[in-house]
Amino acid sequence: MKPFAYVKPADVAGAVRAVSDEPGAKFLGGGTNLVDLMREGVERPDTVVDVTGLPLDTVDQLPGGGLRIGAMVRNSSLAADERVRARYPMLSQAILAGASAQLRNMATVGGNLLQRTRCPYFYDPAAACNKREPGGGCDALGGFNRSHAVLGVSGSCIAAHPSDMCVALAALDAVIEVESVRGTRRIPMTGFHRLPGDTPEIETELAPDELVTAVELPPAPFAARSRYRKVRDRASYAFALVSVAAALEVRDGAVTAARLALGGLAAKPWRAHEAERILLGGPASEESFARAAEAELAGADVRPGNAFKVHLARATIVATLRELNTGKGTA
Amino acid sequence: MTETASTTTTAGQGVGESARRPDAVLKVTGEFAYASDLWLDGMVWGVTLRSPHPSAWIRSIDVGPALKIDGVLAVLTHEDVPGVKFFGLDRRDQPVLAIDQVRYQGEPVALVAADHPETARRAAAAIVVDYEVRAAVTDPRQATDVVRHQPVRRGDTFEAEVVVTGEYEVGMQDQAFLGPESGLAVPAEDGGVDLYIATQWLHVDRDQLAPCLGLPHDKVRLTLSGVGGAFGAREDLSMQVHACMLALRLNRPVKIVYGREESFFGHVHRHPALMRYEHGATRDGRLVYVKADILLDGGAYCSSSPAVVGNAASLGVGPYEVPNVRVDATGVYTNNPPCGAMRGFGAVQACYAYESQMDRLAEACGLSPVEIRVRNAVSQGSRLITGQLIDAPAPLAGMLRDLESMPLPEGPPATDLRALPGGVSQTTRGEAVRRGVGYGVGIKNICFSEGFDDYSTARVRAELVGGEPHVTVHTAAAEVGQGLVTLQAQIARTELGIANVTVATADTAVGSAGSSSASRQSYVTGGAVRAACEAVRKRFDGLPAREALERFGPIEETREYRHRPTYPMDPVTGQGDSHTQLALCVHRAVVDVDVELGLVKVVELAAVQDVGRVLNPQALEGQIHGGSAQGLGLALMEEIQVRDGLVLNPSFTDYLIPTILDMPPMQTKILENPDPAAPYGLRGAGEPPTLSSTPAIAAAVRAATGLRLTRVPIRPEDIALFNNGEVSDGKRT
Repeated sequence: MKPFAYVKPADVAGAVRAVSDEPGAKFLGGGTNLVDLMREGVERPDTVVDVTGLPLDTVDQLPGGGLRIGAMVRNSSLAADERVRARYPMLSQAILAGASAQLRNMATVGGNLLQRTRCPYFYDPAAACNKREPGGGCDALGGFNRSHAVLGVSGSCIAAHPSDMCVALAALDAVIEVESVRGTRRIPMTGFHRLPGDTPEIETELAPDELVTAVELPPAPFAARSRYRKVRDRASYAFALVSVAAALEVRDGAVTAARLALGGLAAKPWRAHEAERILLGGPASEESFARAAEAELAGADVRPGNAFKVHLARATIVATLRELNTGKGTA
Repeated sequence: MTETASTTTTAGQGVGESARRPDAVLKVTGEFAYASDLWLDGMVWGVTLRSPHPSAWIRSIDVGPALKIDGVLAVLTHEDVPGVKFFGLDRRDQPVLAIDQVRYQGEPVALVAADHPETARRAAAAIVVDYEVRAAVTDPRQATDVVRHQPVRRGDTFEAEVVVTGEYEVGMQDQAFLGPESGLAVPAEDGGVDLYIATQWLHVDRDQLAPCLGLPHDKVRLTLSGVGGAFGAREDLSMQVHACMLALRLNRPVKIVYGREESFFGHVHRHPALMRYEHGATRDGRLVYVKADILLDGGAYCSSSPAVVGNAASLGVGPYEVPNVRVDATGVYTNNPPCGAMRGFGAVQACYAYESQMDRLAEACGLSPVEIRVRNAVSQGSRLITGQLIDAPAPLAGMLRDLESMPLPEGPPATDLRALPGGVSQTTRGEAVRRGVGYGVGIKNICFSEGFDDYSTARVRAELVGGEPHVTVHTAAAEVGQGLVTLQAQIARTELGIANVTVATADTAVGSAGSSSASRQSYVTGGAVRAACEAVRKRFDGLPAREALERFGPIEETREYRHRPTYPMDPVTGQGDSHTQLALCVHRAVVDVDVELGLVKVVELAAVQDVGRVLNPQALEGQIHGGSAQGLGLALMEEIQVRDGLVLNPSFTDYLIPTILDMPPMQTKILENPDPAAPYGLRGAGEPPTLSSTPAIAAAVRAATGLRLTRVPIRPEDIALFNNGEVSDGKRT
């Protein structure tokens, strides 16, 4: 591991100042991802700014029914929050589907937003990876790409975004609040992560000196009926091959509200706008669900190793919507 | 008898009892001292620089930049190896540090010692190695360098009424033991070295170490340190020579500890296998012949590949009566990670293939999976395809009937998500879930085979301590988590009737115990401890222990124990009495498969195993459960992903092993048909369950899906794609 300086500021102003003075600085949350990457030599910060001491660790009620989640709230606390469980069950389920209890106890909401891909070539400094070393090439394109993305990929990068939590946040129209020496700004979750394009090393809209301070969940009454399903290689402790966060509101057989986001198969937490467009106003039927899934996945850019994900995604989208519609698994 | 009080206390702790393990609570509470916890004041840290390439020439190594780093004490290359520069279990073909070329990714190239492990890691990264990358041989089918080819030939009838053929593949499995490789080398005043080490076989480590260090054997002393698990992965040397080289060079204690990622590069794995089988039978399902081609990828160095090939050949058709056989097992060198010993040792791969074939044959003959196996089952008096007579009980047909008659689990309860495929991931509420049942049978040789001089040594001392009789048992046998320390004490209590038993730390101050592998330690070290106890008891002269020890003083006896000799396989026909003991296990697997998503939930595993004699019921159950879990891992998830010679998942985040949520409850039935040749009539028990659970699970998934599934591990896409009308790599029925 490369030697680094360590600072632990007590307030947000101190934290953003520490980073603005130091281009090679990185914020450290729970450390469940960054420390791993530092050990592998993938991340090589000069200074680590530990932000876990900042007073950003509460979940607060917003006027109008939303929630404001401090960036330092631990994943386990958020998943266990009664308000989250009642109003946004998909978010609680998504978090609990990720990692292990030990990791969730450490991982922060802010850190989870910035979680980096589990692409094996990204993790191996001896391999070619445009995300790790821009312009270096991509060994995943013709290599072992079973876990890789089929949506939003480019010729530079096919890495999948690994987060479960972010998939639910994308479905819920969360807003990310960030702060820097220049002040505060708010970024919609669906625009927070960037597609790789020619610059896969830039993963979010966040400037290097900006600190995530909070995530706001707008009121979403229909989300009280929502679900997160995750398909993985073993029963627990594994990244998603495919995951689906969905909420559905049906009146008189017609869909009056629909939210759908996909994980495990896209370069970023994937809000399924096209599928939602087809669902909204249409009949809450098996055919409609299937049509929505097909439309969303029509643009999939598959490789031999990961083509199966399209099938898994189609089946999981339909099954999740079916469950939300009927309250049962079977059609 | 004056020992009444003591014998009463031994009642729960002798042979046949679930004596309490000294390490159990410590391991569960996190207090057990593993080799990675070794500590000496003044020790320094060793780190290994490894090759990033699977195949390259080394043009030059510049250690200068590393030496300039503060805190660095030494940087060594192959030029600094004091003695012989190669080691190996079977052939000394593996360089201590790479000489002019590297043959696999992760091959050790240089060593650094520093006052802090992080400093040593940074220094290792600063070493400049100029590689000239060359083409790597990574497809075993293209490999021309053969480690061993072992044919088995029997009979000349290769025509039959019913013929089934199949090609099968087994991925590369890792032992995934607890506690990565670790050791502490301490230079001694006599110019020698003391090595505290987590290993499986102290004496074979020393036999390889001493020549590399240029030291006589008596100046290289090894002491076993806390081992988490081994499963074959600690049979080869890892950091032993490296730590000793650095310690001798610096005249300071040197500790080397691998992390989990380095561990994946630091030990051998299970050989991946490509297999082609043809079974011929009569219409009523009696085997006429079997042809088999078994290709095992040995990777870059020999390790124990020759013996693995021998097992694959001699056990290549399973525990069935087959009059005509053409088996060819071949191990080859490639630039893939070296493969060697892993629980099941060559018998695992073949078992998956021949059991898959038996199911196809059953289908072709219109018989049930149990019936086809019963009709062809070996029994005492049968001959293996090597011509060897099975001279001990082998009640396979009865075991299968027992297994079949065990109650089947209930259908899936809709209320408990954990019972469904996908589990708490909530991927199904029961829709698209289909149940399947499958059977698997395995046969494993116990102890070393093919003429190896296989023995163990035990020193047993009885004396009065504080007026109470006390026994010390001293062997070099490695406790690798299997419960051997507990068993040695049980044997001493039973044989001597003395409750207080200390099992001394295993080291090389006593004769070799052989390897803690091949399910052999209960047999061989158990036999040695019993023999030494008998010799001590004889010197009691018929007196009760206390009286004898009062009269004669301390009594110490050392005994070697050998099992019946074995013989090489004929190089052309494979014939010969190559094994000393054979063990059987049969499994039934019940699975629920989400055929849409390809997710498998193993609902239950049931097993029947004949262990000859139960020495410790709890430890035995543990072996059967653990072996079954390792077989489940191979069936459904465990595979080191290697592409172009590069390992892509060297972590427990990416190399998946079963969790408690993946492992189902088990029903077990344990038979005790004694082997008259073995101590207490016991039969080695650790490996057989690993063999049979894999094919049983694969068969159950086939039964649920109707797919052929010719490769393990079975992945979700192998199932899900078929359901969608797409074909997954020709695996469709």
